[in-house]
Amino acid sequence: MSEVVLKLENLSRKYTLGKRNVQALSNVNLQVNKGEFVSIMGPSGSGKTTLLNVLGCLDKPTEGKVLLDNVDTTKLPEKELYKIRRSKIGFVFQTFNLLPYLNARENVELPMECCGKPKGERSKRAKELLQLVNLSGREEHRPHRLSAGEQQRVAIARALANDPAIILADEPTGNLDSKNKQEIVKLLANLNLTQATTIIMVTHDSHVASHTERMLLLCDGKITREKQGLHSIKKGQMCPHCHNTIQPSDVVCPSCQEKL
Amino acid sequence: MAIMISIPAGATANQASTLSLSENLGDTIAETEATINRTLTQIDCSLAPSFEGFGFNRPDVGNFTPGQFGGGNGNFNPGQFGGGMNIPGQFGGGAFAGGGTTPMNETLYEDINSIENVASVVPMLQVSEGTNQTIERFGRSFTVMIPDYVIVGVPLTSSVVDSYPVLPVNITSGRNLQADESGVVLLSENNTAFFGVKVGDTVNIVGQDFIVVGVHGSSGVEDRTTLYMSLSDAQSLTNNTGYVTSLVVFTEDSASVTDVANAISSLHPELSVETSQQRLTQLQAMQTSYETALASAEATLAQTQSVAFEEVGVAVAATSLIVLFLMLYTVRERTKEIGTLKAIGFSNGNVMSQFMLEGVLLSLLAGVVGIAISAIAAPTLSGLLLPTASQLGAAGTFTRGITATNTATTASVVLTPELVLIALGAAVLLGALGSLYPAWRASRTRPAEAMKYE
Repeated sequence: MSEVVLKLENLSRKYTLGKRNVQALSNVNLQVNKGEFVSIMGPSGSGKTTLLNVLGCLDKPTEGKVLLDNVDTTKLPEKELYKIRRSKIGFVFQTFNLLPYLNARENVELPMECCGKPKGERSKRAKELLQLVNLSGREEHRPHRLSAGEQQRVAIARALANDPAIILADEPTGNLDSKNKQEIVKLLANLNLTQATTIIMVTHDSHVASHTERMLLLCDGKITREKQGLHSIKKGQMCPHCHNTIQPSDVVCPSCQEKL
Repeated sequence: MAIMISIPAGATANQASTLSLSENLGDTIAETEATINRTLTQIDCSLAPSFEGFGFNRPDVGNFTPGQFGGGNGNFNPGQFGGGMNIPGQFGGGAFAGGGTTPMNETLYEDINSIENVASVVPMLQVSEGTNQTIERFGRSFTVMIPDYVIVGVPLTSSVVDSYPVLPVNITSGRNLQADESGVVLLSENNTAFFGVKVGDTVNIVGQDFIVVGVHGSSGVEDRTTLYMSLSDAQSLTNNTGYVTSLVVFTEDSASVTDVANAISSLHPELSVETSQQRLTQLQAMQTSYETALASAEATLAQTQSVAFEEVGVAVAATSLIVLFLMLYTVRERTKEIGTLKAIGFSNGNVMSQFMLEGVLLSLLAGVVGIAISAIAAPTLSGLLLPTASQLGAAGTFTRGITATNTATTASVVLTPELVLIALGAAVLLGALGSLYPAWRASRTRPAEAMKYE
């Protein structure tokens, strides 16, 4: 049994919009294991971003628990949350959100800077991370000299900087063309495969979502459906022919008898 | 913001120049008093100055009294003086106390020596050297000599030099002229600057070389451009051998001054005879007017100070408000960035110090720019915003129109290092003050809401 990284228990979030009460999340239960690549899909207003904000300690739930690495973040005071965000969570945004006046390396160094890592170490790690996202040689470029796809890769490197327990990606491909979309999804999938990074990704795009391991459908603040994505094939958890569950050790699919 | 900071700098500098003006006035008053004291037994005799002597090319213009020209332009161009200024128009008419400007034959006046109670007659020669300039006044054209310096020849005999106060007393470097000297000269500080020489140097005066033995610091209006040499040197230098421009008569005691003066007048009715009593009255009137000018300068100084104080207050308030609004705008503009920073792990303290630092650096930069601007523009700015030297009424004391080139005192604005430090310190302080609230607001931003903000 894999280690549980994230566990949501009866999570609800209500807020008032003018005079209207909005139930953004109602009774969400979810468990994410270490090394999983999960996508959350759903129509606009279904609560995807609220869920991600609550997971990322940017927002507090009205009810329920968020257990991140066995720590209930909902119990922590506002003042302590930055430590969780700093060390356990890496954010990737739809609009990249790089600081325009810092170059790629400095942007990646930023999360390490605020937890007081020495300069030399910071710079070394930033370069390694940029290499990991295939941006070697572009370390000193400012965001405006990078393409959208490259900017998102810098943002991914930044999210990985403090070696977080989980990466939260809010529509990371939403502002990209199809070619870059493909590359970013591949990059995330690759990181998940090679680095065993746990990733939760919100997306509109079912094609993008299909590259993940688990696809969750969020509707009116509830998880209504869950299915396996193509990423499970790569991980050896799903038969590419009949899409039934297999074990990584299987040579022949137990369901359809096709050779794997 | 930069200009805001430069205003107090300019104001303070202008204040300093006002202060130096009133100090100058104080000196002038002290000097006048000294003159009063040393003239008690003195009678000055000279021919009334003629226009030829002054270089006017229209000798037929007879309707000007000598006093109007002889005494400087106190009533020549009233517009140049402040309200309180009215210098008596006939302060001796020349550089040396009682000195005339019209040459007179020495031998004609030897009989003055034999008048009862006359202790000594000191002949003096005073010649102005300068350049001619044509001016238009009263609808007519005059050629006026703008004097560069005034030569005063004093008989350097021990009986004169040792007994009578005919040479300047305030020697600032070198030494005074001594009895029986020749070929030497005592310059004023103004002269040393004009000739570009110092004590021990040789100076060429009207084509002849003299050795500079000393410099006198007399700052009185008449003495500023006056150089002293022996009478015989002065006479041969200016082709005036046998001629003098004034006779300074010293009586045995102050009681006989009036009698002696009357006797001189009856012997030589063409002479203008001035007793110490008359001069005393004039000098006292002058002193009073100087004192009035000083009082008005002091009043203006106080006013300038309060204006400067108000300006500094307004500038401080305006600067911190500008920083406040600028930083509030910045924080609003960068809400999303703040959200990002918080999402990737910046604490409230991190965000706050970030924005504080930014505000302080911004206003420090503005301070530097402000100082640069005030260094360049403060003279103009303060001239526009504050009372100037001529408005103070004090400048008129030193500006004699005709000798203006050498004696005018102008107010100048100086940016001192202390002023620069104060301005920079103020910039940092105001920057910190103004960005305190915006930085706090930035640190309080809720990341979830900030992320929605575009």
